[in-house]
Amino acid sequence: MSERSFGGRGPRNPGRREILRQGAAMGAAGLVGSSLAGAAFAQADDLGAYKSAKINWRQAEGESITVALIPASYFDILIGLGPQFEALTGIKVRFEKIPPGQIRQKAMLDLSSKTATYATSATDPMYYPLYASNKWVDDLDQYLDDKTLTDAAWFNVDDVIKSWRDSASINGKLYGMPYDGEVTVQVYRKDLYAAKGLKPADTYDEFVSNAKALTDASARTYGVALRGFAGAGQNMYIYPSLFRGFGGTWIEGGKVDVNSKPAVDALAWYVDLLTKYAPPAVRNWNWPDIADAFSQGNIPCYIDASSSATVITNPEKSKVIGKIAYARWPKGPSGKRVTSIWNWGFPINAAASPKQKKAAWLFITWACCAETQIRGSWKYAGAGKRSGVNRLSLVRAPEFATAMQYAGDNFIPAVLESLNQDTDVDWRPRVPQWPAIGDTMATAIQAALVGQKKPKEALDEAQARIQQILKG
Amino acid sequence: MIVAKPHPIRAIAVPVLTGAALAIWAFPVLWALLTSFKTERDVLAYPPSLIFTPTLANYHDVLFGATSIVPNLWSSVIVAVGATFFTVVFAVPAAYALARLRYPAKRASGFYVLATQMLPPVGLIIPYYLVLQRVGGLDTYFGLILIDLTLTLPFAIWLMVSYFEDVPLEMEEAALLDRAGRFGALWHVILPQVRGGIAVTTIFVFLNTWNEFLFAVVIGGNRVRPVTVAMFNFMSVEQTQWARLAAGATLAMLPVILIGLFAQRHIVKGLTVGAVKGGGRR
Repeated sequence: MSERSFGGRGPRNPGRREILRQGAAMGAAGLVGSSLAGAAFAQADDLGAYKSAKINWRQAEGESITVALIPASYFDILIGLGPQFEALTGIKVRFEKIPPGQIRQKAMLDLSSKTATYATSATDPMYYPLYASNKWVDDLDQYLDDKTLTDAAWFNVDDVIKSWRDSASINGKLYGMPYDGEVTVQVYRKDLYAAKGLKPADTYDEFVSNAKALTDASARTYGVALRGFAGAGQNMYIYPSLFRGFGGTWIEGGKVDVNSKPAVDALAWYVDLLTKYAPPAVRNWNWPDIADAFSQGNIPCYIDASSSATVITNPEKSKVIGKIAYARWPKGPSGKRVTSIWNWGFPINAAASPKQKKAAWLFITWACCAETQIRGSWKYAGAGKRSGVNRLSLVRAPEFATAMQYAGDNFIPAVLESLNQDTDVDWRPRVPQWPAIGDTMATAIQAALVGQKKPKEALDEAQARIQQILKG
Repeated sequence: MIVAKPHPIRAIAVPVLTGAALAIWAFPVLWALLTSFKTERDVLAYPPSLIFTPTLANYHDVLFGATSIVPNLWSSVIVAVGATFFTVVFAVPAAYALARLRYPAKRASGFYVLATQMLPPVGLIIPYYLVLQRVGGLDTYFGLILIDLTLTLPFAIWLMVSYFEDVPLEMEEAALLDRAGRFGALWHVILPQVRGGIAVTTIFVFLNTWNEFLFAVVIGGNRVRPVTVAMFNFMSVEQTQWARLAAGATLAMLPVILIGLFAQRHIVKGLTVGAVKGGGRR
């Protein structure tokens, strides 16, 4: 069910090894013992960049917090930097890696039972409506406004990508600080496109005609792949962009509307594209399967997370390095290009003690400030430098462009334009009932994709079910 | 005298069908084993390559690398051994009582033992979590073993009941006549008769707790982290590290396979027990 896509390389990559060599030890069970705080890090002594903030970093000294994370390279990098945080603040931090499918369940158990096991945990933006409406997490504005806790000029929250902050906000209040994220982009093989005289698609129609040109079903070559597997983070990661691109609105005046004409057209387009121009197995493909297929040269194009760049350029497996280029989502019939707003943020557990909260906030400040983001990206010594930095100024930085050269052509412009122009906060229905709605939609889409039901029929049923869910 | 030769079709069909059935069963295990010796690139090769340069890097990684699963294997050993031990200690007398003693509401209590088995474990996880939280049992071996017992005890009790019922009542009566007393009779006469049953129960309970995931992921944490949970982390959100996952899975399978081979005789006996019963519930 996890839906954050791709990202860096796995723990096996040189980057992780590099960290290890540098001594930021990772505990065996994915746990980093705070006792290892003394590990020598190249930058460890250099805490000057943090100390220029006008706050007392040591105000929660001696406290220890547990942070729940998912297994992902961008969090592994953060774990590797952890000893610097401990040296800076005197706060001990225990990281607990939880499988992506289980982290929400565990976080919700912890939040709802007020155990306060996790001072903060990696959180998906679609969960804030539920968390906030139950007051399980604190409104972060109180921390941002407190001068003893935040040096506003130094932290510069406005620099954190606005659409990501918006995705973590309810009624204008911020509940989670984005740490790492992505946009959805077209990824294509420039050599294969050039051979056929194709350009990356600017519209949905062009996207279909490109896919058609590259498909030869009799030779088992297919032009495209999109997530086809059922799941809130699978087909309901791609479909919302199409839904919005065709001009759909999830909830209008409190009324859900998932079987409107744009909704049906979007699903018909999705079904048609995958049926005609994608490998037959795509209906069971998860995002790593798509990236793997692309990296093995089996498909020439896909639309998915920008963070997949690090996977398809992984020298350990990829056969297409140097042949990759990027472009924005094509324009839908409504004239809109709609990318995902996926990101992982850190909220503060409302049940934690005041001192724990203070420590958690210092942790969040540290993890999400420009300096730590830089240390996980272009200053990061290994391969798999983070591509999902959380600040616009960093995406624009020339150092970032240099660091991201490995990804391929046009990576930064595609990402930057998507961030600036194509991100849509209402990409998905942001309501507390999202998990159930997401699953219902995913099932309906799946039924249409495998040909069990016609798009209209599938969406009519979903509409009825979602109305029930919202009432209940 | 003519020794009947098996029909030629039969002579061929039996081994072929057996072989096919075995291959279907063994395929995933062998595939995991093969994958564990491949590089990530070879894992993805399409069509899959059967001939490749084997590497031990994956094993090195899961044993000594950043994502070593050794502490998790140890964690699994503690949980599985602990849960198995307590299960047997409680299940044997309970099963004996259900099989032999007369007391009020015996039927109801026998039925009640199965109560936790009547709904899916996921339905119980929230109450368990809340209770353990109150008593400080989250992320402790005590907590996880206790919860595992709710799964294993009913199963073990019902399995043991059938073994106790198989012991001829006369043997126990003889022991009682010899003034052995209830406990003496149980210890000296009955238990030796159900040794096989205890072995089977032990093995099944061990396998179940060794492979348990749901409770482990929710009740466990950084301290208590069985290998089933740790292995899951090879499936990161970005990509699945198939080769390392396979190496971890192979290591996690080893104890199970060893115990399985070692105890095969008992397991088969355990599966057929009750099919033809001599004794009966009185």
